[in-house]
Amino acid sequence: MRPADLLRRTSFRLALGGALFILVTLVLASSIGYVEMRQHLLDRQDDRVTEIFAALEQTSRDADSQDLVEAVETRIAASPDHASIYLLKDASGAVLAANIPDVWIRPGWSTVDAATFGVATDYPYRVFAGTMAGRTVVVGLTNADLDDLAEIVLGGFGWTALFALVASLGAGAVIATRVQTRLAAAEATLHSVAKGDLAARLPVTGRGDDLDQISTAINAALARLGGLVEAMRQVSTDIAHDLRTPLNRLRIHIETAAGNAAMGQPVADDLAAAIAESDTIGETFAALLRIAQIEAGARRERFTRVDLADTVESLAEIYAEVAEDAGMAFSARTQSSAVIDGDKELLTQMFANLIENAIRHCPAGTVIVCSVAVTAASVVASVTDSGPGIPTAERELVLRRLYRLEKSRTTPGSGLGLSLVKAVADLHEATMTLTDAQPGLRVCLTFPKASADAPKDR
Amino acid sequence: MRILLVEDDLSVSDYVARGLSENGHVCDVLADGTDGLFQGTRESYDVIVVDRMLPGLDGLSLVRAMRAAGVKTPVLFLTALGGIDDRVEGLEAGGDDYLTKPFAFAELLARVNALARRPPVQDVKTVLRVADLELDTLRRQARRGGVSIDLLPKEFTLLDVLMRNEGRVVTRTMLLERVWDFHFDPKTSVVETHISRLRAKIDKPFDVPLLHTIKNAGYSLYAPR
Repeated sequence: MRPADLLRRTSFRLALGGALFILVTLVLASSIGYVEMRQHLLDRQDDRVTEIFAALEQTSRDADSQDLVEAVETRIAASPDHASIYLLKDASGAVLAANIPDVWIRPGWSTVDAATFGVATDYPYRVFAGTMAGRTVVVGLTNADLDDLAEIVLGGFGWTALFALVASLGAGAVIATRVQTRLAAAEATLHSVAKGDLAARLPVTGRGDDLDQISTAINAALARLGGLVEAMRQVSTDIAHDLRTPLNRLRIHIETAAGNAAMGQPVADDLAAAIAESDTIGETFAALLRIAQIEAGARRERFTRVDLADTVESLAEIYAEVAEDAGMAFSARTQSSAVIDGDKELLTQMFANLIENAIRHCPAGTVIVCSVAVTAASVVASVTDSGPGIPTAERELVLRRLYRLEKSRTTPGSGLGLSLVKAVADLHEATMTLTDAQPGLRVCLTFPKASADAPKDR
Repeated sequence: MRILLVEDDLSVSDYVARGLSENGHVCDVLADGTDGLFQGTRESYDVIVVDRMLPGLDGLSLVRAMRAAGVKTPVLFLTALGGIDDRVEGLEAGGDDYLTKPFAFAELLARVNALARRPPVQDVKTVLRVADLELDTLRRQARRGGVSIDLLPKEFTLLDVLMRNEGRVVTRTMLLERVWDFHFDPKTSVVETHISRLRAKIDKPFDVPLLHTIKNAGYSLYAPR
């Protein structure tokens, strides 16, 4: 990544902003700390000057006492580097003891440049001038220690600020680079999606962070989009494949009728066949459209509370006699309050398709059982027959549009029944499984139970 | 009956208009939605047949506008839109029935006839009679010639629909919609099975059959003259 690129990254900019904020905060905090500390040290220094002055005062009993002079000289001797300065003058102004030239110092507190005392340092002195029994005493302490200490503290603050700045910039760069790596991957994926590869998916690290959440959401949207496009493509292919054949048959019927009419022969049979053929075409077409629309999720906003037990019971009422006429036995076992959110009309058609599949593709004597059971989180509906079943290898294939088992090619049907069932199941977020009922086929649909809150009854 | 047909496909409107006239109806044909709305609100018709896709004003808006103008004439929608929501949309817009293209003329005729003589809601009869067959819809009892007949709930509804349409053809699709609430075409003989069960109960034990199969159209219940 080039530095210019780095500067444009949101995460790096945030890190940079954070670092500047930390820096400003540190400067403010250290300025306040410095001022406070310096004031404190100044107060301490004044206290020490006051202490020295008081100690000297102890030794000064009268104007002639040598004790004071000695005490001052002792202190002068203890401070060869002029860390402290002393000046003792008698009432006439004669210097009695001193380590500085005889300069006039304003009585009371003052801060005096070192140059005034002929000392070669940059630091000023804190000085107190007063009188003891008529003599003038000047006591001063250099600010050198104090300023050193303040500088050390200030330097400490400076280093801390620098470290914080570097650390946060570094962290920002690292985070920006890592985020950038993931974003670049996402960008590349979206580019390939834009070029038409709807199977491409954004990488998800599994850490569940915000990027993962967004990637997961985009992936879900891509999957939906891919599904829709695939459905559209499928429908066009299906129409091309499956409607051309009956269209061709229709054409043959009409041509035959036209030929017969030209020769003065009856045409009624051919025309009836043509009408039947066009009805079949219409039905197949309608079924394909219906499946495509269901797969597009169009109906979801019309979902209401549906009791599957009611739906299956009323279908049982309808199909028991149809099955009986076909020499089969039909029964329903339902558990009450099998309530899901769904579309009653489509669910009815779904179960009707499954029941009709069993009736149409099984021999006489077959037993068909429709059941609805309620579990903690789901409603399980199944249609089981004791017929020939579907070979394991073909169970996936039968869910495809227009797929028909070889042996059912001769029975009427479009091959769309189970794909409609699958589409309705998907619309209701139900899982659909085909299993061997030994003998026979069991189609099992597991629906999520209706949410207890937000009732959607109309 | 006076019927208004608003349909822009000439071959369909010719075919439908000719068929309706052959069956003794007077049929006005318009090809434009705006003209249809004007004519439908100005003149009085027994039934209005409207295509969903029209130039000028689409069928849904036409019917909505007509209903807003207080026209209560029954409306039958024709459509090439096979969508699962289209029927609901049509009914919500104020339509009374719905027919998807391609359709058989017999189906259209049966539905137009059924719509035209639909009684106003307030005077729905509670006891229906056809010859010596009697259906008490409140007490849910069926009798023929004084003999009580046991009917299953759906058989009762089936007989109810047929008796209310006495003398008129009720198609297989109409029965599926009205009796079983099926809005798709079942691949098994649902209607035939239940008609034959009903026939066994109301006709077989008696001399005169009332329930007739009309070839290529549907079923009709009437007393032979």
